[in-house]
Amino acid sequence: MKASRLSETVIIGMGNRLLSDDGVGIAVACAVAECINQRVKLTVKELPSGGIRLMEAMIGFKRAVVVDAMLSGVTPGTVQRFDPKQFVTTKNTFSSHDTDFATAYDLGVMAAVPLPEQVSFWGIEAGEFDLFGERFTDEVAAALPEAVSRIVAEIMEWEEAA
Amino acid sequence: MARITIDPITRLEGHGRIDIFLNDQGTVENTFFQIPELRGFEQFCVGRMAEEMPAITNRICGVCPEAHHLAATKALDRVFGAEPTPTAKKLRELLYMAFFVTDHTTHFYALGGPDFIVGPDAPPSERNILGVARKVGLEVAGEVIACRKRNHEIITFLGGKSIHPVAGVPGGWSRPITEEERSQIEDAARKNIEFARFSLSIFEKIVLKNPVYLDLVTSDIYLHRTYSMGTVDANNQVNFYDGMIRVVDPEGNEFVRYDPSEYREHIAERVEAWTYLKYPYLKKVGWKGLTDGIDSGIYTATPLSRLNVSEGMATPLANAEYQRLYETFGCKKITAARYEPIHHRLATHWARLIELLYASERMLELALDPEITSQDTRNIPAPARFVGEGVGSIEAPRGTLTHHFVTDDRGVLTMVNMIVGTTNNYAPISMSIKRAAEKLITSDAPDESILNRVEMAFRLYDPCLSCATHFLPGKMPLTVAIRDSQGGMLREMRRKG
Repeated sequence: MKASRLSETVIIGMGNRLLSDDGVGIAVACAVAECINQRVKLTVKELPSGGIRLMEAMIGFKRAVVVDAMLSGVTPGTVQRFDPKQFVTTKNTFSSHDTDFATAYDLGVMAAVPLPEQVSFWGIEAGEFDLFGERFTDEVAAALPEAVSRIVAEIMEWEEAA
Repeated sequence: MARITIDPITRLEGHGRIDIFLNDQGTVENTFFQIPELRGFEQFCVGRMAEEMPAITNRICGVCPEAHHLAATKALDRVFGAEPTPTAKKLRELLYMAFFVTDHTTHFYALGGPDFIVGPDAPPSERNILGVARKVGLEVAGEVIACRKRNHEIITFLGGKSIHPVAGVPGGWSRPITEEERSQIEDAARKNIEFARFSLSIFEKIVLKNPVYLDLVTSDIYLHRTYSMGTVDANNQVNFYDGMIRVVDPEGNEFVRYDPSEYREHIAERVEAWTYLKYPYLKKVGWKGLTDGIDSGIYTATPLSRLNVSEGMATPLANAEYQRLYETFGCKKITAARYEPIHHRLATHWARLIELLYASERMLELALDPEITSQDTRNIPAPARFVGEGVGSIEAPRGTLTHHFVTDDRGVLTMVNMIVGTTNNYAPISMSIKRAAEKLITSDAPDESILNRVEMAFRLYDPCLSCATHFLPGKMPLTVAIRDSQGGMLREMRRKG
C-alpha cells in the first residue's frame, strides 16, 4: 500500500447534524477518517442533500463511499451496504430540488466529468429523524462501531488493490 | 363524489399531500394541499445565543442555506444595532447572486424545464435533466455542471465554507476578497451572463415558438389574480438582497410599500386544522378563503410576482427580456417602466430565467465595483447600540424570506419567527392545484399526463416544503388520492420522478 499520496478516496457523510439520527452518516464519515488517517489519505465531505450535488462531490476521485441514514422499515441501527447497481435511495441521497443520484450520475457521465470507478453506499437505519436534537437514539449510537469498522475494511481493501 | 390524492412529488423538498374530492358527476368538488409535518425549528432556537443563528438556520434546508444565512445575518445587524459597511453589503449580495445563478439554473434544467422541453406527456422516467440534455444537446449537461461548479467555488471562498456559509456576522462580513478572487468572480459572471442568455434562447425556441406550449402558458388553467409581493430598491426595481417590501394589487396598483421590520402590521397568518402550514395573507385586505381577486388578501411571492412589482429590471439585458415578457402577454404599461401584472402562473418559469440573467449581470456589476476588494468589511457592534430585536428579510429564490429574532439583554433568544418563501405561496399553490384539477380532471381515472399537469401547477412555484414547515432535508413524498364525496378512497397514486 502506498502511503501519504494525494487523496483518491472520498467519504461523503450525508444528513443533518441537528436532526437526531439523520446526522449518523456524517458522524460515521468523520469516525472512519479519524480511524485510518494515518494509513490512508481520505477526503471527508458533509452533504445535507443529494442529487446533482452528490455526484459533484465525487468528481475527481477514484473511489467514493457514501454514508447516510436510511428509512427502510428494518430495525433501527441496522447497517446495510448497497452496490450502485442495486442502490435506489437512502434518506438524503435524493434531492427533490433536482433529481436522484442515479440520474445525477448519468448526467455526469453524459458531461464526461471524471467520476469514481468504485462507489459504495452505506445506510444506517434511523430510529428518530422528526425531532431536532444533537444526539442519536441508543440503537443508532450502538451501530456506529460496526458501520465504521465495515467501511474501514472496505476502504483498506480498495487501497490494497490500488 | 370522488377524491384524488397526488403523492408523486419526487421533485419537491418537504412533505405534502394533495387530496382531490370529486362529486357524483366525476368532476372536481374541492382540493386540499396538506402539509402534515411540523418540526418547530423556531422553538429549537429559543435559548441559544443570537449570534449562532446564521450557522444554525442555514441547516433548515439543504437547498437554500445561503438565503437563511443572509436573512439571519441581517436580523443580527439589527439585534446588535450594527450597520454593515458598504463593502460588507456588496460581498453579501455578491455571494447571493452566485447562489441565485446556481439555484435558478438547477430549477430550469432539472425541475421546471423538463415539463416543457421534454413535454408534459412524456413518461416521468424521461421527464428529467437527462431528457432535457437529449432534447437540447448533450453539451448542455456539461454547461449546467460547469455553471454550478464555478458559482459554488465562489460561494465557498466568499462564504468561508462549502454549502453552509459562515462569513456573515452582525455588522459585516468576516472575509474580504483579494484581487485574484475578484478577477475569478468577474470571469464567472461573464460566463453566467452568456449561459443565462443561452437558457432564455432555449425557452424561446422550445416553448414560445411552440403554439401548443404557448397556449398552455397563456391558458386560464394556470391563471390566478392575486396580489404580488417582492423586495424593491430605491428605484422600485427588484432587488434580491435588500430594500422595501412592495405589494401591488391584481390590477398593478401599489397597495403598500413597507420596511421588512413592519411585516407584522401587514401580514397575518391563517391557521387551518387540517394542515400544519399556515396561510399568510394581507392583514388590511383580510382572509376570504382560498379565493383570488382584489378583495382577497392572498398574495404571491415568486419570481413572477417580483417582476410584477418592479419598475423594470435594474440591469440592461434583463430589462430587455422583462419588456419582452410583458409585451408577449399583451400587458399595457401602467407606469413609465412597469406593466400590468401577469397572472398566468406558468410564466413564472420565464420570469425565473429573467432573474437568472439579472443575477448574472448584477454579479458582474459587483465584481467590477472598486469597493469590492476593500478590507473594510465590518463595523464591530457597540454594546451601547444593542437593540435585542431584529428582522432580516431577503428574497429567496422561492419568495420573500423573513427572520425575526427577539433576545434578552444578554443576547439569548427568547422568540424566533420565520416566514419562508414557500409559506407565502401556500394559498396560491393550493388555488393553482384546484384550478388545474378542475380544468383537467373530468373523471376519477386521470391519466399520467393529466396528473403531471396538476403537478405542474405547484412545481412552477418551486416550493420547498422542507423550509415551509421548517422541515429538514430529505426525500419527501406527496400523495395524490381520489376520494368520493364521503371521503372513501377510490384511488391513491405515488410515483417516482
